[in-house]
Amino acid sequence: MSTVDRISWSVLLLFGAFVIYESLQINYYGSDFGPGPGFFSFWLGVLVIGLSVIEIGRSFRSNLPLPADFFPDRTGVVRISCLLGALVASVVLLDRLGYSLTMFLFCGLLLRVLGRQPWWLTLLLTLLGSFGTAYVFRQLQVILPRGILGI
Amino acid sequence: METFQHLMNGFMVALSPMNLLYATIGCILGTLIGVLPGLGPAAGTALLIPITFKLDPTGAIIMLAAIYYGAMYGGTITSVLVNVPGEAASVVTCLDGYEMAKQGRAGVALGIAAIGSFIGGSVATLGLVVMALPLARFALKFGPPEYFSLLLVGLSLVMALAGKSLSKALVMGVVGLIFSFVGIDPVEGAPRFDFGITQLLDGIRFVPVVMGFFGIGEILINAERSLASVVVGEGKVSSFLPRREEIGLCVSSINRGTWLGFFLGLIPGTNSAVASFMSYAIEKKVSKHPEKFGTGVVEGVAAPETANNSYANAALIPLFTLGLPGSPTIAILMGALIMNGLTPGPLLFQQHATFVWAVIASLYIGNVILLILNLPLVGLWVRILKIPYNILVVFILVFCIIGAYSLNNSVFDIGMMIFCGLLGYVAKKLDFPLAPAVLTLILGPMLERSLRESLSMSRGDYSIFFTRPISLVLLIITAIIFATSAWQALPSAVREESRGAQA
Repeated sequence: MSTVDRISWSVLLLFGAFVIYESLQINYYGSDFGPGPGFFSFWLGVLVIGLSVIEIGRSFRSNLPLPADFFPDRTGVVRISCLLGALVASVVLLDRLGYSLTMFLFCGLLLRVLGRQPWWLTLLLTLLGSFGTAYVFRQLQVILPRGILGI
Repeated sequence: METFQHLMNGFMVALSPMNLLYATIGCILGTLIGVLPGLGPAAGTALLIPITFKLDPTGAIIMLAAIYYGAMYGGTITSVLVNVPGEAASVVTCLDGYEMAKQGRAGVALGIAAIGSFIGGSVATLGLVVMALPLARFALKFGPPEYFSLLLVGLSLVMALAGKSLSKALVMGVVGLIFSFVGIDPVEGAPRFDFGITQLLDGIRFVPVVMGFFGIGEILINAERSLASVVVGEGKVSSFLPRREEIGLCVSSINRGTWLGFFLGLIPGTNSAVASFMSYAIEKKVSKHPEKFGTGVVEGVAAPETANNSYANAALIPLFTLGLPGSPTIAILMGALIMNGLTPGPLLFQQHATFVWAVIASLYIGNVILLILNLPLVGLWVRILKIPYNILVVFILVFCIIGAYSLNNSVFDIGMMIFCGLLGYVAKKLDFPLAPAVLTLILGPMLERSLRESLSMSRGDYSIFFTRPISLVLLIITAIIFATSAWQALPSAVREESRGAQA
């Protein structure tokens, strides 16, 4: 766990340094109205760096083992990748294909890969999750993209 | 008398057919969220914000508040019937509730939980009525320095009570604050942390962040295991009333649970799980037969369920009167208020009295609706639980996508939700608490504005925070909270050494 902790706090240390750098690009102080827009974030960056240094130092003194289930197994990785891939694809396709078609592909893929339901149930649920939800939410006046086919 | 008059006006508004309908729909949806495993009240409330977009502010907040306390009760049903807590506050209910179900007394467990929740919720709402105006009037004396110090007290409590490590809680709080700074600076109008991305100039909206942290993050954690494995058994529900000899025990437990939940609700940083666990521990301590706890005793269900609902309603007191949210779910309600053009805090009672009293009145009504609705609908909730989780997860994701998109009709917000989901997943794996980040994301702009306004008032002189009595007292409280937490965070060997040196 200490190695994982060290890596995570090192990433935070870099994040703190980045926040300080960005804060110094904008007005830190000196306006007539007191501190500038970079003031608060500058000191927060300093705080992140301070905490990271303390915790990296502490990680060298402790040697806690990683929990047994810290890393997912192969099938877990496949499921997570599938979910994330489908989500990212929905971002890319939503404006182009429209809500109903994108969600049709999204639900179909996930229900087939994760659900392993009979094909007729997968199709029914896919229609419900895509065209069904589009109908309900459009009735509720929620604007959903229609894409090139206008559906 | 003035309060009573306001409350009556509130009831007139809350009892209008449309508002009653919103409260009922909110209770049903909230219970549904509570019933579904892997979707807590915070993610659920955020997920359902889009369905309130077209409502007037009063209707929207009435519905969201009903979703919130509906979710608190929904978790109980699955705890009792299938030993799966829908949310953290219901974990402790499994201990005796499920045992009661196995003995064929699921109905009694659910009945006493519903009655306890109703009493706890109603008493806490009464507390809100009594305390609201005096607290709000006191808070009107607050200028920017006092408000800054008050926010520091709230945030320090949240960080001190969240998770095992103070550093991790602190750093998550800071990450939330930095997220809140993205966009146009509120005082000088300068763009910050926008990386040339136009959408970031509007700032990071809290709904995609919360959906990502608590919704997508939780789904990814669950996806590590087989999604098909999330359960369902069957509980038999018959009579809802306890035995005659149990009634006295229940009354005392509900009484203790009510007051404990109420006081914990007033303290930012605590959560309903703390209320229910603490209340269970107290019941076990005062019981004449502590050894029977865990075998299906009715007090083991009555007290924690009462405490958790009393907490849920009392937690609205600091939000409405001081503008201080104590938990992520309350912070989401605060965000929803702000989205509707209402700033929580003392001025809410002056500028939007009709709204605020209608919402308070709706809390009473919502508690009655929950009581009437939930017992007959238990069978339906059990049937919903039989839907395999791998199917539910797809529909939850569809709702997340609609929710994030409909905020601003932009796929950018869906991208932000996915990014925050990944961040939430990693944070959960590494044991970094997410609650401080959500609270600071919402409070960040106010914290920064009050700090900069204070320093503008004093022309950059920091002594303004120490020379004003209320601010000074609040800062001392903050220092005590941080010092205590830092002391507790020290390794025990260092503490022993220090005690030895003093001796």
